[in-house]
Amino acid sequence: MSAFFILVGISMMVAGSFLAAFIWSVSSGQYDDDYTASVRMLWDNPPAGAKKNDK
Amino acid sequence: MQVEKFYYDNRTVKNFAYATIFWGAIGMLVGLYAALQLVFPQLNVTQYGSFGRLRPLHTNAVIFAFVGNGIFMGVYYSLQRLLKARMFNDTLSKIHFWGWQLIIVAAVISLPMGFTSGKEYAELEWPIDIAITLIWVVFGWNMFGTIIKRREKHLYVAIWFYIATLVTVAVLHIVNSFELPFGWMKSYSWYAGVQDALVQWWYGHNAVAFFLTTPYLGLMYYFLPKAANRPIYSYRLSIIHFWSLIFLYIWAGPHHLLYTALPNWAQSLGVVFSIMLIFPSWGGMINGLLTLRGAWDRVRDDVILKFMVVAVTAYGMATFEGPMLSLKSVSAIAHYTDWIVAHVHVGALGWNGMLTFGIIYWLIPRIFGTNLYSKKLANNHFWLGTLGIIFYAVPLYWAGFTQSSMWKEFTESGQLKYSFLETVTYMKPFYAMRSLGGTLYIIGVLIMVYNIYKTVKAGKLVANEAAEAAPMVKEAGMHKGEHWHRWIERKPVQMMVFSLVVILIGGAIEIIPTFLIKSNVPTISSVKPYTPLELQGRDLYVREGCYTCHSQMIRPFRDETERYGEYSKAGEFVYDHPFQWGSKRTGPDLAREGSGNLKKSDGWHFRHFREPSSMSEGSIMPSYEFMLHQELDTASTAARINAMRTLGVPYPKGYEQEANKDLLKQAGTIVNNLKNDSIRITPNKEVIALIAYMQRMGKDISKQQ
Amino acid sequence: MQESPTQQTCYHCGDACTEHIKANGLQFCCNGCRQVYLLLQENGLCGYYDLQQVPGIKVRGRFAGNRFNYLDDETMQKRLSSFNTDTQVNIIFSLPQIHCSSCIFLLEQLNKIEPGIISSQTNFERKEIFISYDPRLISLKKLVQLLAFVGYEPDINQEASTGRPKRSYNRGAIAALGVAGFCFSNIMMLSFPEYFSGGEIEEPWLKQTFSYIILALSIPVLLYSSAAIFKSAFKGLRQGMINIDAPIALAILMGFGRSYYEIITGTGAGYLDSATGIVFFMLVGRWFQNKTYNALSFDRQYKSYFPLGVSVINNNKEENIPVTRLKIGDRIVIRNEEMVPADAVLLEGKACIDYSFVTGEQEAVRIEAGAMVQAGGKQKGSAVYLRVVKEPSQSYITQLWNNDIFSKEKNQDQSFIHPWSRYFTAVLLSIAFLTALFWAWHDPSKLLTAVTAVLIVACPCSLLLSATFTYGNMLRIFGRNKLFLKNAAVIEAVAGITDIVFDKTGTITQTGKASIQFKGQPLSIEEREKVRQAATQSAHSLSKALAGPYESSEAVGYIDAFEELPGEGLTASWGAASVKLGSNGYVRGLPAGKLSTAAEVHVKIDDAYRGYYEIQQVYRPGMGPMAADLLPFNLHVLSGDNDSEKANLQHLFGTDIPMKFAVSPQQKLNYVKELQGQHASVMMLGDGLNDAGALKQANAGIAISNDAARFTPACDAIMDGTVLHQLGAFIRFAKSGRAIVLASFILSILYNIIGLSFAVQAKLSPVVAAILMPASSISIILFVTLCSSAVAHRLGLGKN
Repeated sequence: MSAFFILVGISMMVAGSFLAAFIWSVSSGQYDDDYTASVRMLWDNPPAGAKKNDK
Repeated sequence: MQVEKFYYDNRTVKNFAYATIFWGAIGMLVGLYAALQLVFPQLNVTQYGSFGRLRPLHTNAVIFAFVGNGIFMGVYYSLQRLLKARMFNDTLSKIHFWGWQLIIVAAVISLPMGFTSGKEYAELEWPIDIAITLIWVVFGWNMFGTIIKRREKHLYVAIWFYIATLVTVAVLHIVNSFELPFGWMKSYSWYAGVQDALVQWWYGHNAVAFFLTTPYLGLMYYFLPKAANRPIYSYRLSIIHFWSLIFLYIWAGPHHLLYTALPNWAQSLGVVFSIMLIFPSWGGMINGLLTLRGAWDRVRDDVILKFMVVAVTAYGMATFEGPMLSLKSVSAIAHYTDWIVAHVHVGALGWNGMLTFGIIYWLIPRIFGTNLYSKKLANNHFWLGTLGIIFYAVPLYWAGFTQSSMWKEFTESGQLKYSFLETVTYMKPFYAMRSLGGTLYIIGVLIMVYNIYKTVKAGKLVANEAAEAAPMVKEAGMHKGEHWHRWIERKPVQMMVFSLVVILIGGAIEIIPTFLIKSNVPTISSVKPYTPLELQGRDLYVREGCYTCHSQMIRPFRDETERYGEYSKAGEFVYDHPFQWGSKRTGPDLAREGSGNLKKSDGWHFRHFREPSSMSEGSIMPSYEFMLHQELDTASTAARINAMRTLGVPYPKGYEQEANKDLLKQAGTIVNNLKNDSIRITPNKEVIALIAYMQRMGKDISKQQ
Repeated sequence: MQESPTQQTCYHCGDACTEHIKANGLQFCCNGCRQVYLLLQENGLCGYYDLQQVPGIKVRGRFAGNRFNYLDDETMQKRLSSFNTDTQVNIIFSLPQIHCSSCIFLLEQLNKIEPGIISSQTNFERKEIFISYDPRLISLKKLVQLLAFVGYEPDINQEASTGRPKRSYNRGAIAALGVAGFCFSNIMMLSFPEYFSGGEIEEPWLKQTFSYIILALSIPVLLYSSAAIFKSAFKGLRQGMINIDAPIALAILMGFGRSYYEIITGTGAGYLDSATGIVFFMLVGRWFQNKTYNALSFDRQYKSYFPLGVSVINNNKEENIPVTRLKIGDRIVIRNEEMVPADAVLLEGKACIDYSFVTGEQEAVRIEAGAMVQAGGKQKGSAVYLRVVKEPSQSYITQLWNNDIFSKEKNQDQSFIHPWSRYFTAVLLSIAFLTALFWAWHDPSKLLTAVTAVLIVACPCSLLLSATFTYGNMLRIFGRNKLFLKNAAVIEAVAGITDIVFDKTGTITQTGKASIQFKGQPLSIEEREKVRQAATQSAHSLSKALAGPYESSEAVGYIDAFEELPGEGLTASWGAASVKLGSNGYVRGLPAGKLSTAAEVHVKIDDAYRGYYEIQQVYRPGMGPMAADLLPFNLHVLSGDNDSEKANLQHLFGTDIPMKFAVSPQQKLNYVKELQGQHASVMMLGDGLNDAGALKQANAGIAISNDAARFTPACDAIMDGTVLHQLGAFIRFAKSGRAIVLASFILSILYNIIGLSFAVQAKLSPVVAAILMPASSISIILFVTLCSSAVAHRLGLGKN
């Protein structure tokens, strides 16, 4: 089943690249704080002049 | 360094939103029409409107046009805001948008015309495949460009889901679309038989995973918290969710081929894998639902949240059912039946559909700086949609289960209780009910179209939405005004991901042929290449999308061997480019159509193609009368033979020259048989080739005994 | 944004409102809160109030403008900032007050209020904020004042200023864990074909390929992920002790070694899936156990308590310098509520120094010019001038830290399983040896297989797992109940204690809090304000109790005359109007004594006797029951304060337990030492600097705090004062940990026996090994986690 060879090979390549991505994200401190980001995404920052956040 | 003012690009978002709505309506209407064709076969008008050609159009339209545009809409909106940066390059955005729409148009034209590679969810022919690859690269370029010039250091989990989508879909598409062109819009899959099946379902499943799931999970992680105005239940869980999913998902696939000629261990691998997938999937669902804990009162009167809740719930159901279906015993019942159709539609209508609608209702008023025209209409849409899903799924679950048990039922005397046809006619009421569900769902969509139209009229597009943010703060050590190559050094990962696509294209072209030319599948001596006429016939079989209703894979069960003959062996398919195992038996299996007790006279086939119900009362198969008149394209025979030889089919050297001679000879004999059956027809008609293929199926192996 | 009409609570901080301070029809408890609201509102930041109900932090009083003067000092700025150019300064503050998403909302949009701020990013986990600002537009001092104003006063101390250590541990560990997880799961996947096909994959070359990919995948696990385990094992060996990691390291080596051998020689598929699995589960365990409270600091030095800056008088010019630059002979100014940074002599002014923080002594001491003032004392009342006589580092209070106990580390993961592992390893090796002998006798060809199998299967990973997961889970449960332990070892320390020593002030009692009741004809707001102001002038503990927070906007003018009769009372006058506070005798001139058991402050306004305040020291609730609950232990009470409360204490703790009063920090330390000398294992509970020595000396030192994120001395654990009464339950829970671990030991030993029985017969197929390993590990994990949670529930620690 030579197709396996290709599929496994390619799968590993992709998975490998994601492993690399994982290591990068951890070592670059992406996950030093795993809460704030989930709150930060809640508000977009309109310029100070523009519409205010208060209701 | 100071706070920077910049503008979010809403125009592209708007365009993708419109495209989503438009193609969504089209794709679903086509689906509804195809569904009705199963109830009223006479709806199969002309060859361009026959079920076999419309069904691929439906699947491609809803997956790549509706969901595809939906993804881009959501990504272009959320990515900019998550990264606090405008999309990398407006021109790329334009190219991406229009390119993608052109591809869809090309599909809408080419599929009904019968240009198909004959592989499910990858039917589009090679020029379009190339176009898709290019546009996809443009998308990736635009996305990574934005990531690089972002103002927010942290990459929110949604973005990781987008990246995963981008990379894997590219890889899947390229690997699976390996085909040898032998003419404009004509090609053969590079892989044959079992291998083709394996690659196809590795693609098939991961397409579901990475086109219908990961991007939408990303969208869920952005739009659900936004709509609820509260952070995701557990951000840590979402991070674990992503990485565990991504580290393993790539293994999916083989469970679509249980009990087929695929090696046993490969099937079991697929099963184990699918079971394990429950955990990450449900992790995501629970995380989504718990986000609304303590806010259920708001869900009651916020229609957008309602859409999202139903979507996430549907996702949970589908991802629970999936692994169950991949259990061998369950698959034995469900495979080839409408159960599977119900399963995928819970996912598509529930998860993808409802989430998309929720996002559209949330996002359109925002980019048009106004409020939704009518909450009431949106509410009606919600209920119609939800009912639609129920009316769609329940009958089909029922139908699938019943039909399967009818297939397997024996009389005391050990005879099959039902003829296949009986089970088909039994299905009709269920198909009718399913169409009703579909109709409700579509009415909902049309209401949305109106609602959105009024909303847009009321507001004015904020094409460039002002925003401000400080540039990514430079920690000590990083310098300003860096060169284009600097980020490569700093971000090896992006570099890798980028180059991956290139490497794959180049590398694969190098490697794959050498592996595939002589396949290691145990060959059966009696299995011979198709004759030119049969080959032509087979290509017609592919063109008409017969695989959408007929399987060519007999599983080792008593009822199937009883009904169709000996179960299929891997060795029988070594010359099948592409494989045509199929995944659904609206009609009977055809693997042994030309042999054993299934063998029918040429005349029977002729009359059956002209008017199926004339030969089998109550058949819902479309009439293929046009093949009685349409000339067979003998000019391309040589090209086909050559292509096949390149792919390793042992046609003798120079055979392409006399191929057409043999073709006419074989056609002649069929014409004579028909004459004896008092049917007059010239040998150069397409139907002749198709008959030849029918009569060939399953012969070789029976010669063996 | 609706406020309930029934009980009026502050829209900003949620406190109850005594009077009507309104803005935009919203109710506020004090002007401070109102001002913050107005500031946010005018900058369109009212989203602050939408995310969370009453997210605000009550603003306590006004700010002495010069409080942050020392921040203008160049070197100080350099020291605090992480990146410093003349256009941009990056700085990290720790803000213990961060508690909800609204905090993040406000703090990350400071630049809306103050354009000089380029960007601000919070780290919720560590309760820190990263600010980069433009020094040309805003000074560090202004920045800090802004933060303080909106309720987030940075916790700036000399430690922080000397740069915190970067915790790169987590990143490394998580990366290692991720790699292990990735390789393990994919190796699993690649191994299945082997199992499912019963070792009979149709194409041998495919099988080959798989096993080589597996091999490749396992290398990072061996070289990268498992490094931590090898390191710890090696460290153990170097110290001549075999710790639990040693046999594990051995098993890992065996597993990998044998598998590599099999794969390369093509004699088998090896079982790298189990081998990598072991590593993976080990790392998961460690990750789970290493629950660290980033926001808390368990080892604060005395420096943290000292001011960073101090005003020095140079030729009649006052300038602000960092304390570190303080020299003997410097003339310094100490204002109300400021701390004396170094031992000094009082030059002029009436000093009234409160040493409670240093000694636990409640009563402030009056000091006449020429007398010594010790570092750590706080001035109450008007500014005083002193001359420094000792370097800050030499002052009396800091001597405590020169005590050697502060140099030695304690409660490092010396888990009791380590000693065990010695025997375990011995047994393990002997079994391996016997197996070897046996097969050498019978069938040498199977020798290697059997021995390696023994070493691999008998790997004590499940033993270690049980410990790590039990303690990991317990740490979490403790944390949920507001007792924050430094690390897992502390659990065992707590489990082992025999004696419990309580500090009084701030531990059993609640500092600052006193129950105050007015008996007599009620006072108007204005009169209340007068009393408050009058009381503020005095340093007497009872006066302090009356001088509550700034509560009214009523202007009552400034006190013209003020006199105090120490120990008797005081008189303050505003022109004609006057207020007399003090003992019955002082106020009414009668010889009459006290009217109640509690302390009293009688009040006379404009020569009219109005009644008296009844003031009682407030004990934390549930002290009595707690004492009863702790009978099995020997209790002790130490107090730096005088014995005025002795009666109440005996009422709570009974008469027969040792109580010592007016004890110095050093004496507390010695007391604990003595107890330990009598083979007691001591738990010390205290707050404040004065207990630091004892806390450090004790086997388990628990710092009591009213706000876990605020100042706490060096300790093993930080406990929220409100849960002190649960101490008994906590100790019992800690004890149960041992039992659970032991139980799971037995469970895992059973597994090992099963595994071994296969292994010694050289009958262990890779499949069985592959299934046995994860199965046992996971069941152990479930077992201990469920047990510990169940016990916690039974002890009433299960809630929330």
